[in-house]
Amino acid sequence: MSRAKLKDLGIDLPIFPTSTVGSFPKPDYLVEARAKFAKAKIDRKELEELERRATAFWIKTQEEIGLDVLVDGEMYRGDMVAYFSDLMPGFEQSGLVRSYGNRYYHKPIIVGEVQWPGPMTIGWWRYAQGLTKRPVKGMVTGPYTVMDWSFNEYYPDRRSACLALARAIRREVEVLLEAGAKIIQIDEPALSVRPEELPFAIEAMHLVTDGLPAYFIIHACYGAFDAIYSQMLKLPVHNLDLAISHSTLNLMAMFRRDPFTKDLSLGVLDVHSHQVETPETIRSRIEKALKLLPKESIWIDPDCGLKTRTVEEARGKLANMLAAVKALRAESAVN
Amino acid sequence: MELLLANHGSYPRIGDSPGQQRLRRAYAQQERGEITSKEFEAIQTSVIQEIVEEQAAAGLDLVTDGQIRWYDPISHFTGQLDGIKINGLLRFFDTNFYIRQPVVVDQVVWKGPVLVEEFRSAQAVSPKPVKVVVTGPYTLGQFSILESPRYRDLPELVAAYTEVLSKEVEALAAAGATLIQIDEPSILQHPGDAGLAKAGLTRIASRKGRTRLLLATYFGDAVPLYEALQAFPVDALGFDFTYSRELGDLIARRGSDKAIAFGLIDGRNTRMERTEEILPILRRALPKVKGATSYLTSSCGLEYLPRDKAQLKLKKMAAIRAEFVGRG
Repeated sequence: MSRAKLKDLGIDLPIFPTSTVGSFPKPDYLVEARAKFAKAKIDRKELEELERRATAFWIKTQEEIGLDVLVDGEMYRGDMVAYFSDLMPGFEQSGLVRSYGNRYYHKPIIVGEVQWPGPMTIGWWRYAQGLTKRPVKGMVTGPYTVMDWSFNEYYPDRRSACLALARAIRREVEVLLEAGAKIIQIDEPALSVRPEELPFAIEAMHLVTDGLPAYFIIHACYGAFDAIYSQMLKLPVHNLDLAISHSTLNLMAMFRRDPFTKDLSLGVLDVHSHQVETPETIRSRIEKALKLLPKESIWIDPDCGLKTRTVEEARGKLANMLAAVKALRAESAVN
Repeated sequence: MELLLANHGSYPRIGDSPGQQRLRRAYAQQERGEITSKEFEAIQTSVIQEIVEEQAAAGLDLVTDGQIRWYDPISHFTGQLDGIKINGLLRFFDTNFYIRQPVVVDQVVWKGPVLVEEFRSAQAVSPKPVKVVVTGPYTLGQFSILESPRYRDLPELVAAYTEVLSKEVEALAAAGATLIQIDEPSILQHPGDAGLAKAGLTRIASRKGRTRLLLATYFGDAVPLYEALQAFPVDALGFDFTYSRELGDLIARRGSDKAIAFGLIDGRNTRMERTEEILPILRRALPKVKGATSYLTSSCGLEYLPRDKAQLKLKKMAAIRAEFVGRG
């Protein structure tokens, strides 16, 4: 349990702290503005003005809903890897690669030594934190995912590319902490795709987090989670955020074999579904976890970023999540 | 010992020049109802001709149609069977590519050839023989959701897919296909099911006539299964060398009873191979391989690369073979 760590950092959170994974849907005016910017019909300043407006909207919305730990909503990001690779020396963009159907994207290519270019996320973190008294998470994409989602023409193997990225990303985390961030989320959705590579993914995470005074959350989609669970406990972070809202994994058996030793962010909303879960459904998902873990170690959030939902769906889902949490908190206080 | 240059399977369907993006535009126009399916088909056919010629120009001996008509390696074939519904997107192994997942809702029934016309039309415009690629029954089974009570478990579903694929292979053989590649990447993730995959291939092989069968494995280290694969009833075995440093040594040591498709060119990374990295493996391993014809190819289909890099990889492959033959 890392509640003591949070206290050390001066953060006092209620039981079942609530948060979100990072991205929110972009309002229509921002979607239009991004398209215009891509066609050079508006300049960067005009676009940033709208990104700030959308960020302020989401900070206010998160406060109204009652979330405890906020995010900036990533209004300024397109892709979670490209945002960083576009800024970092050592990367180029490839030609178009197909993702599925008629969807194509430019995949980053590592062509030289990757370097930290100076602050990449601080401006947005400061802006968002300036709008609220609640803690705003610092958000970076993890080295393993940046490596896995890029071509590599420079480093001799995947491990060396990953470790080089880890050193650069640590610099970003250091400046986030200097700016005042206390909770850092490292997004590693690719973490479980090659279980045999988990040892160097963990090594990379040490390079990012060791010795730094922060509460670290790692967000990973589950993939081959059952195969790597016991190794994931070795990740040097305080909180594992796992997409297990509708998972069929037998967590009970896994936790019995290797007791869970960290805080768990329990992804209780299915972000890929249009359906707004009822507070009862959400409650039952939380109660399942309560049979396995002490309530003090459970955080509640959606199972991934909400950017693919509509603004209304995202709001509805989060409001019901808070309704379920508030009821459980009230009962917990009585008991 | 002959070493032919073969394209693995898929190929980037668009490039970065406006002309190379015509299929992407046509796809969007068709969705908006701005062009007819006939107009779309004409554009698709012209792209297949272009990429077949691109492969031949790079020096390949065996080309593919690039799977340009396929949505993905799983739903293209299964979506044209009775008893299957096509579901949402699912990540394809550890790639950033997504397939649509088949849901088995009733008895799986072959309605007629799916790939024969594709093969014929590609062969009609190709200056080189066209290799046919089809995803194998075990991998199709692994990527399917089984809802129908007609099949109790994965082995029964694999048996059902085996039956329809046997008919497809028979039809392809009758249409003149000389080499059919069966892709079974999933067996590397589930080595314990090698027997299940082998039973499927045995049944398929019984219908192939004189056509050669190549079993392609990729996205994993084939070393643990190498011995078992030697007993599969196929003419050639295809391997992805990017997942294993030991595979070349193993072939050199143990030899191979079957021809080998050497997937030595990385189909997942834009880094260009150096000739001196590849040649020593071929020089050590190929003399130990039985069978008159082996293949040099990429580790997997090339659709994971941008078009310009895929084309360069094919040219590199040709340069490596030239060097190999020249000094071989």
